Amino acid sequence: MTLLLTVIYIVFGIAALLTLWRIISGPSILDRAVASDVLMTLVMCVLGADMVVNQHTRTLPVLLIIAAVGVFGSISIARFVARRDNTDR
Amino acid sequence: MNPLDLIALVLVLIGALLCLTAAIGLLRFHDVPTRLHAATKPQVLGLILICVAIALATRSWHVVAFLSAVIIIQFATAPLSAHMVGRQAYRNGTIDERSLIADELADSKRTPPAAGG
Repeated sequence: MTLLLTVIYIVFGIAALLTLWRIISGPSILDRAVASDVLMTLVMCVLGADMVVNQHTRTLPVLLIIAAVGVFGSISIARFVARRDNTDR
Repeated sequence: MNPLDLIALVLVLIGALLCLTAAIGLLRFHDVPTRLHAATKPQVLGLILICVAIALATRSWHVVAFLSAVIIIQFATAPLSAHMVGRQAYRNGTIDERSLIADELADSKRTPPAAGG
């Protein structure tokens, strides 16, 4: 039980760190948009895991709001990014 | 403890592993569409697993109703953002052209003036 919880925490932490590294180092802004999308999904998953572990339902509306409005971030980035941003891949 | 709680924890673990595979894919793949391919796995399947785990852990129909709304909204919006990002990646040139087997958009590559590209 405690082992399972520890493994879950470590896996979430490593996934968040790797995604954060892609946000920092991603060559183009679209890479950063994709990575921040993944980080947002990770936040939703962590909120859900917290609800499972601690047996409460207080953060369910947060889950709903993130699912509803989180899409606008990457859509607006993809909409208004320049034709060619100044990166050489 | 209740066996349902254990099943819920295992589902959470599988969802966490999906998030980890997406993060590894983000690091290892080399252009935007392949990273997008890795990134869209936990957005749908991982979230479904976690929502099933929440439903198993709380065992209440109110929570199930709430979670189905979350899943439906995520189903509707995840392909939307992936489509926008992928289209802009094609127009933007942040795509490895040699990795394309068939390029059906090659004739209409020029961005139409009103497309905001």
